[in-house]
Amino acid sequence: MKKLIAGALLMGASTLAFAQPGCGVGAMIWKGQSGIAPHVLAATTNGTFGNQTFGMTTGTLGCQTNQSVQSMAMYMESNIDKVARDMSRGSGENLDTLAVLLGVDEADRDSFRKVLQDNFATIFPSSETTSGEAVDAIVALLEKDESLSKYVAA
Amino acid sequence: MRTSLRFALALLWLATGIHAYANPLPHTGDLHQHPAWLTLVHYQPDRFGDGYTSQADDDSFFLSKQGKTSPEAELDATLRAITQPGRGDDHARCRFPARDRWLRQQLDLPSKAANCPAYDEWAEELNTETVTLVFAASYLNSPSSMFGHTFLRLDPPREDEETNLILANTISYAADAAAHDSEILFAYKGIFGGYPGITSIQPYYEKIRLYSDIEHRDLWEYQLNLTQPEVDMMLAHTWEIRDRNFDYYFFDENCAYRLLALIDVARPGTNLLDEVSTHAIPSDTVRWVVDRGLVEEVYYRPSAATNVTHSINALPDEHQTLAAAIANGYVDADAPEVRVLGDEERARVLDTTYDYVRYQSEADGWPREHAAPLSHDLLRERSQIRGVAARKGPPEPAIRDDQGHATFRASISGGQLGDRNFSELTLRPAYHDVLDPPAGYRGGAQLQFLRLDARLYTDNDELQIEQLTGVEIRSLSPRNQFFSPLSWQVGFGARRTDTETDRVFTPYLEGGAGGSWQLASGTQAFAFATADLEIDDDLRRGYDAAPGADLGILHQSNQFSLLGGVKTRAWIVSSQHRQDEAYLEGNWHFGREFSLFAKFSREDHYDRYRSTWQLGLHAYF
Repeated sequence: MKKLIAGALLMGASTLAFAQPGCGVGAMIWKGQSGIAPHVLAATTNGTFGNQTFGMTTGTLGCQTNQSVQSMAMYMESNIDKVARDMSRGSGENLDTLAVLLGVDEADRDSFRKVLQDNFATIFPSSETTSGEAVDAIVALLEKDESLSKYVAA
Repeated sequence: MRTSLRFALALLWLATGIHAYANPLPHTGDLHQHPAWLTLVHYQPDRFGDGYTSQADDDSFFLSKQGKTSPEAELDATLRAITQPGRGDDHARCRFPARDRWLRQQLDLPSKAANCPAYDEWAEELNTETVTLVFAASYLNSPSSMFGHTFLRLDPPREDEETNLILANTISYAADAAAHDSEILFAYKGIFGGYPGITSIQPYYEKIRLYSDIEHRDLWEYQLNLTQPEVDMMLAHTWEIRDRNFDYYFFDENCAYRLLALIDVARPGTNLLDEVSTHAIPSDTVRWVVDRGLVEEVYYRPSAATNVTHSINALPDEHQTLAAAIANGYVDADAPEVRVLGDEERARVLDTTYDYVRYQSEADGWPREHAAPLSHDLLRERSQIRGVAARKGPPEPAIRDDQGHATFRASISGGQLGDRNFSELTLRPAYHDVLDPPAGYRGGAQLQFLRLDARLYTDNDELQIEQLTGVEIRSLSPRNQFFSPLSWQVGFGARRTDTETDRVFTPYLEGGAGGSWQLASGTQAFAFATADLEIDDDLRRGYDAAPGADLGILHQSNQFSLLGGVKTRAWIVSSQHRQDEAYLEGNWHFGREFSLFAKFSREDHYDRYRSTWQLGLHAYF
């Protein structure tokens, strides 16, 4: 089941056909204006610009061999500001989604949330942190944790 | 020689034998006229003649050369192709799994599973148990988005709590517009055709990001009660139309239309497409789906904007002021006046401020140099507060968008213009004005299309078109210490205008911009600067223009709506004169089906006063 979700997610990624720029690159947490074309007309006429993409670049993707971590990196790429928000609050659906992608068992969810909230400043040391750096920091933190390290084992 | 002849005969016998054995094509009779077949190949009856034409604009969607216009030829070709021996992704059974499944059922053909690695893998990865129709409601201060947008979400089996729907996939159909096309070209091609429409699959979180975070649209999720075989049929057909071009037309063959076709395929006999006449408004298509009893449950996912408004309103006044001060950089996130607050209060202030800053960055383009460090400070501070969960989101509105009044309105009324009596008939195909019952619509938003007002003057039995509104959009969005949206209006059409001696029918264009301020719940005051342009031979110079102003008050509630104000215009081209008007219009709502309305206006134009009053009934269909 979890595998299927991760698989579906990666399938989504492959259909987007983006280039893989390598390790450590990724979206900044708080990008500038998203630069969507004026959509008044598109909205009136209920069309959308089909080729909108949201700066999909890869983070740790391509370096990590663990499929769940790759899926997490994919998710962080387009939702990093919401993941950071939920992490600071210690709860929220985006944090739960990370847990699902990493396959964290229900029993370990509380400590997963707590580790990420406690170490918020380590994961996001500045406003220039990229999603790739955040993923690396999360993996490093979980590796150090006795009960959570199994979820990021390569 | 004899041997070779015998061999040749044997070969011939074998060949004809194999032929007869491999193609026991059953008699198909009238099967090509079956509604399910017509739906599967997207045939629509021709407007002239009794033939059919498929809406697919892609040769690879047809197996017969005549497939586009001949259901029979296409059915025969499909039947021949799916009964051919062979296997693999290129086999017709793999390219058209839905047709294959349906034909085999209808004709009792052996239904041994086809071997289609690519399709099987695709279906397995989509892992769909139920299908949810998602409706993106209109967004704040954008009445033009009122039509909404729809797409389908493919939900995985819900085995346990952790089944996560944000990771589910979605199917949508959209115009594949080139990003560099101008809006005018976009509109032209959208209306007259020219954009390919593409069916695409994307994770739900990408959709949430687009609609909920960037466009600020609430999402309504209608979980459909399709059975597993119906869901499988829908997926099979999605596979068939995936990457196939169906030209996109804004008004009818749009995003909602293609999804209705998918539901029709999944559950034959639903005939949702029969509801579509000249236009398929996504919010109306949701009504049809609900009316057909296809909906199991409805969920509400408020947008980022709805969430932030809700959490601001939930803060006490002094904390609202504090949040605004932090957001604007007057107070730091870790300042003593913030730290002095109790954990829960501080968490609420920080959460609200963060959500507000994110909202402003998306909506108003707050510069990154300000928003990014501030956002980081807010989250760092927030991460120090343990054990305080985020506030619950806003409650689901009592009336959903699809439960608001129907969008077609017909009105009859009687009235008096000066000393002439008239009766008036008004037809408005779409959509909503600020005096209609507000439940299920955005407050202060108005969008009307193709409204026709026809008057019969009783003194001389003269029938006159009073006004033909092409499009009229109005958006009243209250300003406060957090939000400072522009209120605006724009419209064009043709209307009666006074030339001092006569009332002539004149094309017009009007627009305005200004502000609105909330006075009480449901009541706002607005001030607009306006501009009017009229073009007609009867005007001395062929056209006239007028800057002006419009000040008024709008009250909206489920029982009673009222709009009153004063308007002034200074005509400056053909004849220099002022036109001043005081107006008051009220609607009493009886449920969401009827409203009684009364209008009164008094006008000072060409130095004479004239009153118009009108009393009538609106009915919504």
